[in-house]
Amino acid sequence: MKRKLGALLTGVALTASLLAGCSSNANDPNTITFWTPLTGEDGAYMDNLVKAYNETDPAVKVKHVVTADMYTKISTVLSSGKGVPDLAIIHADRVPGYVKQNQLEAMTTVMQAQPELKEDNYLPQAWGAGNIDGTQYTVPLDIHANVMYYNKDLLAKYGAESFLDDNNVTVDEILSLQGKMDEGDYVVNDALLGWAMLGQIQNLNGDIQEDGKPAVNTEVMKTAVEDVKKINDAGLMTPFGEDGYLMFQSGNVLFSTDGTWSSTAHATVENLNFGVTNVYSVSPDKFTNRSSSHLFAMFNNEQRLDEKEQGIGAFLEFIRENSVEWAKAGQIPASKQVVESPDFSQYMQSFFTSDEKEIESLYIYTYEYYPYISEAVDKYVGDMVRGNVDIDETLQTMQKEVEDKITESTGAATKTGE
Amino acid sequence: MKKKLSLAPAFFVGPHLILFLVFVVIPTIYGIYASFTQWNLAGSPNWVGFANYSTILFDTSSTFHTQFFNGLKNTLLFVLFTVPPLIVLPLMIAVALSHKKLKGKTFIQSVLYVPGLISISASALIFSLIFNKQLGITGNLFGSTIAWATHQPYAWLIIIILTIWGGIGGNMIIYRASISGVAEELYESAELDGAGPIRKFFSITLPSINFPLIYTFVMTTAGAFNVFGQPLMMTDGGPQQSTSVLMMYIRQLAFGSGESIAGMASAMAVLLGLVILVISALQYYVMNRNSN
Repeated sequence: MKRKLGALLTGVALTASLLAGCSSNANDPNTITFWTPLTGEDGAYMDNLVKAYNETDPAVKVKHVVTADMYTKISTVLSSGKGVPDLAIIHADRVPGYVKQNQLEAMTTVMQAQPELKEDNYLPQAWGAGNIDGTQYTVPLDIHANVMYYNKDLLAKYGAESFLDDNNVTVDEILSLQGKMDEGDYVVNDALLGWAMLGQIQNLNGDIQEDGKPAVNTEVMKTAVEDVKKINDAGLMTPFGEDGYLMFQSGNVLFSTDGTWSSTAHATVENLNFGVTNVYSVSPDKFTNRSSSHLFAMFNNEQRLDEKEQGIGAFLEFIRENSVEWAKAGQIPASKQVVESPDFSQYMQSFFTSDEKEIESLYIYTYEYYPYISEAVDKYVGDMVRGNVDIDETLQTMQKEVEDKITESTGAATKTGE
Repeated sequence: MKKKLSLAPAFFVGPHLILFLVFVVIPTIYGIYASFTQWNLAGSPNWVGFANYSTILFDTSSTFHTQFFNGLKNTLLFVLFTVPPLIVLPLMIAVALSHKKLKGKTFIQSVLYVPGLISISASALIFSLIFNKQLGITGNLFGSTIAWATHQPYAWLIIIILTIWGGIGGNMIIYRASISGVAEELYESAELDGAGPIRKFFSITLPSINFPLIYTFVMTTAGAFNVFGQPLMMTDGGPQQSTSVLMMYIRQLAFGSGESIAGMASAMAVLLGLVILVISALQYYVMNRNSN
């Protein structure tokens, strides 16, 4: 009987230890557990940076854990309070939500330990994305932006090189090519169309909020959609549902509005003679490249020791000085020391830090409910621009969708704040 | 006489029971509880009673009402489009493979079964390329000029093709095993009585594999209601949300890029669970009654 009981207890203990094994070594005092959502090549470049840092023999080493679906897992570990990573990379639009839910620890101690981790040393919008009501919650790694690649050969063929003169390719300039394109050639594709549209809001001096309330169904939004729709109506945008990104790579599209990170993929395409400029604008006076930023953040974790925070400071200082490696992933490092270095100037995306006007064009939305608006824009903008739906009705639907989500999340947040 | 207590069964069942409790029972109960709350996954859930259900079912102006019914409609369409072929085709293949004179049975069976082992995301990626107008076979070999993923009915078609391709093998194996268990004497007797292949199929094969048929029908239907990966990867719910299934809305509400709306998402999930429960029970009842 005793033997049976022992066997049963062993079985239970084994199962329990198996389940316990699911948690990471987040509490190891000699290791900073560092979660990122950086899958693919981005993850490999971050691995290189972490490896280079660990080779400097720091007091506390960093363990990089690429975590697909990271935000879902973050929710889980924050709810349970166990296995919370010491450091993580989050996107800029997540910061206001996490701060409101009191889930981020301020970077105050880290910044005190490393005096060079300060606003002056970073691109302003990347630094500002982590600053809520005067408290700094994040240290930026990069800015990744919606940009516009151009096919040099096609520009020459269609005599459109002058479009690039003022670094502002306007919708009117694009429309001037109507009737001039060969069959199968197009002026622009619809890659990241939602981002491009959010950039137009800034070009028209509008915003996505008014007094803290979401502003989707606005005249500015309508104008932006209607103006971009003109490109589609003129037959100059790649056909609906077709792979415009691929069509650019195959040399049939003059302009591709995808991300800074795509430069590495475009560079692998044989005979694709391309450059990069700002995303087209509905305004002749202003251009905007809607951007986001990867930010280092510390989620609340009472078990994170002071030594680890010192270690995190040392790691972030290393990144500030050495993140030119990150430029290989096509991103714009946020560290001024890096973007002002000769090494960075050889990268295509250095165009966007070449002068103050370009830096200003990298616009990061920091509105608390921006993610809801972005979801709605991404969901509906394609059909509006393609003329598949009525613009007024769709803008009303989008506004309502965002408002309903905000109402729900506000109700939940009331309890969180208690 | 005192019955001796034996712990051996508990030893074997125990680990499974613990895993079942931890990963199924407790999350389910908590999910049902969450459906009565407003919850952002961060703080404590805020009890709101039946408000979420009321909004989803009766508030026609609400986004969540629209999303739920659109998602449910599309999910039902997916079930209707995929479940019959996922029962009939594997059954036909299994019957064909049971023919004595057929050669290469194992090979054919493997070819049909392997797609089920490939993850949905990898399969969807392959099929996206096959149906890609520029790169794919459909465009280059067959001269198709359709952008499949963004035009109906082609968007549904590619989702259905992918689902059938990946799902056919599992049911086929079950039918193969069941058919091989049917006594050969029955077929021989039927032949002596002059029964042809169709008569033998309907009078011997089908009644003999009644239970596996009910099982596969119920499980395939329940699985189809939980569809998520295929429309997400192939069409992203488009065009105009006509392939947005309920699980996509649930997932976006609970784990979208903004603050989580987990309470509302849980209520939708519970309602979906109820629909699956009712339909599965009906299926089981009807099929079982007919077989009796």
